[in-house]
Amino acid sequence: MSTANSAPERQSERHGRGASRLVAILANQQMVLVVVLIVLVAFFWSRNHLFISSSEIGNLLTDFSGLALLSVGEMYVIVSGGIDLSVGSAVAVSGILGAFAMQDMLNAHYPQVVVLLVGTVICALVGATVGAINALMITKARLAPFVATLVMLSAGAGLALVFTGGAPVGLDSTAIIFSASGVGPFSYPAIIIIVMVAILGLYLHASRYGRYTFAIGSNSFAARAAGINVQRHVASIYVLSGALAGLTGMFFYLRLGSGAPTSGQDAELTAIAAVVIGGSSLFGGSGRMSGTVLGAFVLTVVTDGLIFINIQPTWNQVVVGAFIFFAAALQALRLSSGGLARLLRPASTSEESTGGR
Amino acid sequence: MADERVPALEVRGINKYYGGVHALSDVSFRAYAGEIVGLVGDNGAGKSTLIKVISGAHEPDTGEIYVDGQRHHWRSPLEAIEAGIETLYQDSGLAPDLTIGSNVFLGREKMRRGLLGRLGFVDQRAMEREALEDLKKVGISVPLSKRTVAELSGGQRQAVAIGRAISWARKVILLDEPTNNLGARQAIEVLDVMRSAREQGLAVIFISHTLPHVLEVTDRIVVMRLGRVVRDAPTSGFTAENLLATITGLDELRPPPTPTA
Repeated sequence: MSTANSAPERQSERHGRGASRLVAILANQQMVLVVVLIVLVAFFWSRNHLFISSSEIGNLLTDFSGLALLSVGEMYVIVSGGIDLSVGSAVAVSGILGAFAMQDMLNAHYPQVVVLLVGTVICALVGATVGAINALMITKARLAPFVATLVMLSAGAGLALVFTGGAPVGLDSTAIIFSASGVGPFSYPAIIIIVMVAILGLYLHASRYGRYTFAIGSNSFAARAAGINVQRHVASIYVLSGALAGLTGMFFYLRLGSGAPTSGQDAELTAIAAVVIGGSSLFGGSGRMSGTVLGAFVLTVVTDGLIFINIQPTWNQVVVGAFIFFAAALQALRLSSGGLARLLRPASTSEESTGGR
Repeated sequence: MADERVPALEVRGINKYYGGVHALSDVSFRAYAGEIVGLVGDNGAGKSTLIKVISGAHEPDTGEIYVDGQRHHWRSPLEAIEAGIETLYQDSGLAPDLTIGSNVFLGREKMRRGLLGRLGFVDQRAMEREALEDLKKVGISVPLSKRTVAELSGGQRQAVAIGRAISWARKVILLDEPTNNLGARQAIEVLDVMRSAREQGLAVIFISHTLPHVLEVTDRIVVMRLGRVVRDAPTSGFTAENLLATITGLDELRPPPTPTA
């Protein structure tokens, strides 16, 4: 590595680079995802040509945006080295409480726009509250994120049933119309969410907040030693994830025109799947937002496509499971082929110097 | 003696109790700018406790800390950092998934100018560039082809960690076992980096069990035993044998009667 080093060193560098390029092509999860996506779309289209029609593309984009928003929040959590199992329940609870409030406002004849805006804020706040409870359990009571958010998954799902008695809340046709109209194939909710996802992705990769999130997931001790307030940062991530789940609750309210206790059921699993399929490490510290977005898109195509070719939607979870398996296998391959590349390199590089003058 | 100069770091009469254990008793020593001070002692001698007190991780029960003659009383590592003291803990390490630039600037990111900066966006390109310059200044060159710290060898990682500490330190740098787990060649390069930190006018405090390294690189050695400073003398006055004897306490035992011829 010092400048004075001569031919053998350079040769080994070239060797290493060649091997790592091979690894990169083999194990670039996003590249693989794009190929999978094309194959899936072609397959569903060959079975039912209506799969590529303007109405279905619009549907697909709207479905995708809901999952994408949830997955983005989940990704922040996973990159920080945590996990949030409560987002599905947060979707349900916030959608229901938002729906109650919006029903009251509609009955009081508030203008529709005001109702939807206030409803959005309420959903976000309810979701953020769920996240804040997670944060308290994790940073103050020192529970493992898995346990703390499992508590909220269970409690939230229970509360959703308690609040509603199992029946959807309200029937808001304006909401349905709003979510079905838009620009070209993009519905209004899809446009808003896609812009949000782009901003949140940029923020994760280019802001100080995002940098700290990666650092904590990578080595929280080093982050603390560097003067980062790790507890506070982790707490804020769970609040963010909860707030985004709350907004996803509003999204489901718009699609269904009501707050349903079944909204967001199992959504945490799909969101985690999107993040993992997108190439993020479940151990934290690594991942690309573009991968998560692609992962969410692939899962949406699978879910919608299965319906399109008349396969029981109950099979959906099985297919998602298969995708998680292949994503995990790909990650394992990447790790082991990285190891393989190291082994292939001549010994001189593996004993690289510390950095002389 | 250099006693007329103001020491970069001076600790006076530090006492620290853990429950009934007197971990540090009346510890005093000085480190001047442009000097490498070795801090040695057996396990349990109090080195690590002393480091934690100086770096702000623990508060002493009594005693005073001076930086450039100014008395400080800090309650957190951040306050020690702000006073110009950087610490490389034995096992803190780096964030392996982050780039070298992100690691060097971790906690002190360079922000973009204008609105983007105010919105919290970092200037990644500037950080990568300046990190490599900063590292080069202390004699560390890192291959440009390596993006994240995870791609570096163990020795290179340690070099980046030390380089990070040195490039941020304004007055004092505490290195706790920086040559641990390194091969012989990498360890020697770490010693070189310490020398270049000395040339830059930092006070370097080097904690190590590897006595040959201590004898090779330090100007002065402070020996601790059972929470006390038992010897504080120029390195030239030590040999491997009497240093070991001072550390273990053998020097205080009466030498065995030499058989008369």
